[in-house]
Amino acid sequence: MSQRKALITGITGQDGSYLLELLLAKGYQVHGVVRRVALEDPEHRMSRILPHLDEVQLHSASLESYPSLHHVVARVQPDECYHLAAQSYVGYSFDDEFSTFNTNINGTHYLLGVLKHVAPHCRFYFAGTSEMFGMAEAAPQSETTRFHPRSSYGISKVCGFDLTRNYREAYGMHASSGILFNHESPRRGYEFVTRKITSGIARILAGAATELRLGNLEAKRDWGHAREYVEAMWLMLQQPEADDYVVATGESHSVREFVELAFAHAGLDWNAYVRESSELYRPAEVNSLLGDASKARARLGWQPGTTFEQLVREMVEADCHALGVAAPEASRAAGA
Amino acid sequence: MSRRALITGITGQDGSYLAELLLSKGYAVHGLVQRVELEDPTRRLSRIGRIRDRVHLHEGDLTSFPRVCEAMGEVQPQECYHLAAQSFVSYSFDDEYSTLNTNVNGTHYALAAMKALAPACRFFFAASSEMFGKAEEAPQSETTRFHPRSSYGISKACGFELTRNYREAYGLHASSGILFNHESPRRGYEFVTRKITSGIARILAGQSTELRLGNLEAKRDWGHAREYVEAMWLMLQQPEADDYVIATGENHSVREFVELAFEHAGLEWQKHVRTSTELLRPAEENVLLGDASKARAKLGWRPKTRFPELVNEMVEADCGALGAAVGQTATVD
Repeated sequence: MSQRKALITGITGQDGSYLLELLLAKGYQVHGVVRRVALEDPEHRMSRILPHLDEVQLHSASLESYPSLHHVVARVQPDECYHLAAQSYVGYSFDDEFSTFNTNINGTHYLLGVLKHVAPHCRFYFAGTSEMFGMAEAAPQSETTRFHPRSSYGISKVCGFDLTRNYREAYGMHASSGILFNHESPRRGYEFVTRKITSGIARILAGAATELRLGNLEAKRDWGHAREYVEAMWLMLQQPEADDYVVATGESHSVREFVELAFAHAGLDWNAYVRESSELYRPAEVNSLLGDASKARARLGWQPGTTFEQLVREMVEADCHALGVAAPEASRAAGA
Repeated sequence: MSRRALITGITGQDGSYLAELLLSKGYAVHGLVQRVELEDPTRRLSRIGRIRDRVHLHEGDLTSFPRVCEAMGEVQPQECYHLAAQSFVSYSFDDEYSTLNTNVNGTHYALAAMKALAPACRFFFAASSEMFGKAEEAPQSETTRFHPRSSYGISKACGFELTRNYREAYGLHASSGILFNHESPRRGYEFVTRKITSGIARILAGQSTELRLGNLEAKRDWGHAREYVEAMWLMLQQPEADDYVIATGENHSVREFVELAFEHAGLEWQKHVRTSTELLRPAEENVLLGDASKARAKLGWRPKTRFPELVNEMVEADCGALGAAVGQTATVD
């Protein structure tokens, strides 16, 4: 049996790096799309996949360029394509809606178009998101909940979801969307609130900072571990029929809870360090997301393993370790 | 000083009726038109030929953000009706990329330009029942989930979300009309209703013998465009922006349209109509049927023209245009 080939866009990101490891472990020949600027600065831009550089084949291309994607896909002829690359930070999508749209909508559209053209039997995964639900019209949110995106990021992902579904329905492609709720890890980008908190704690412990400025502490999210979520992606592409699935833990916690747990684990009193800044509020907030992943559980046999507390602890410890500081045993700080 | 309105897509069916409506209400009417249209006015500006000297046309390409900004800044409209789009579903299968570029970026640029240069302007976005697509319930209302089946439908869903986001995030008076199919003698020839009625005229005039159609069983909720643009204006007069379905609440199949139209022309449709699988779409909608009760309650809007009258008006207009006579009873050739 010949080796299965997978192509990952966004391979240098959190999800891409975990997926790379998963697929290598399963014996895939793994290819990744990487921008030229990242290839030229591997220590920084490819840091998450440095340990595996000699096991993966990287191809230079840009999501905004149809010809470059066509070139890569035609050359690789993948059996599976995981389209994870995007401008994925909601906050930034308010600062620059146009690039967000260009990258996320065109990138998805071009990839689908290219696959239909030169590799129509390739199985395609699109990275949908709970941000499509946005100002959610029901709780918990499932595959049938109406979308109400609150940012250009969310809107661009709705468009990608619709395109993926259309290529499945109109052209019979095996094209699926994972509607993934927030998923974190020690590899999360620093701009995302979880990593911002845990890396902020490490800097405080290292004496490099005295303050952590956050936005809306009352925002609630359904947070899981990215390593488990990429397994769900793989499972979707092994199904005989393509379909869309919510991937989530079914538990919701506020940013405040994350802050409290994280600081407590570091032996710090969060009230002494955290400043809430209305400048960091979004023009349109998403107050609460909670996912119902029963379809993924039933059809894919997928379920989350890491608890919220374990996730917080793992991220605090990893960031502290990176800065060479110790995270004291979890304990309530005096006076909290 | 008269209220200023800017219409994108002013040369289209809806744009031309809307321009006439706003002129009758004393507006200063401005339109955005492409260079190629200004260079071929007899054809490309034909729907606004009679009002050409009463409207102010601004040349510009919707997909050029700088130009859209300039136009918005020049006009400083109090109302902006964004009707321009690549609006033929079939073509959106042939060229998804241009469809998305024009429809998504065009809407995005108009909203962003308005926010930057005329934030008090009231905005209308031409959303579509095609967003419902493979409709998940019938009839479809403002709360029905979207399931677009073409890049046209997808692009309109995206524009709807953008419009709503600008309303919610920035407080702009930005509304979407979720308009179900609306026809008239000014409808583009590529759309099935006009294709049928103009095809009948050509048959009567002896210019052709056959009319090739796609899926005769497709059902749509068809109204008259002249009435639907009134709903657009009503939406922008409301103190709060909101989204509204505009529809008749009745649906009919293409087959019914064909039967009524040919009968009105005194022809037997089976002798002339051929269905061609080539004209089937890669993904069809099933049944589009609109619930416009919100528009009725909040805007006081209701449709007036019934389906048979719409069909007859279009048949007679096309026959009149070719100088062909319309019979009342079917004849056997």
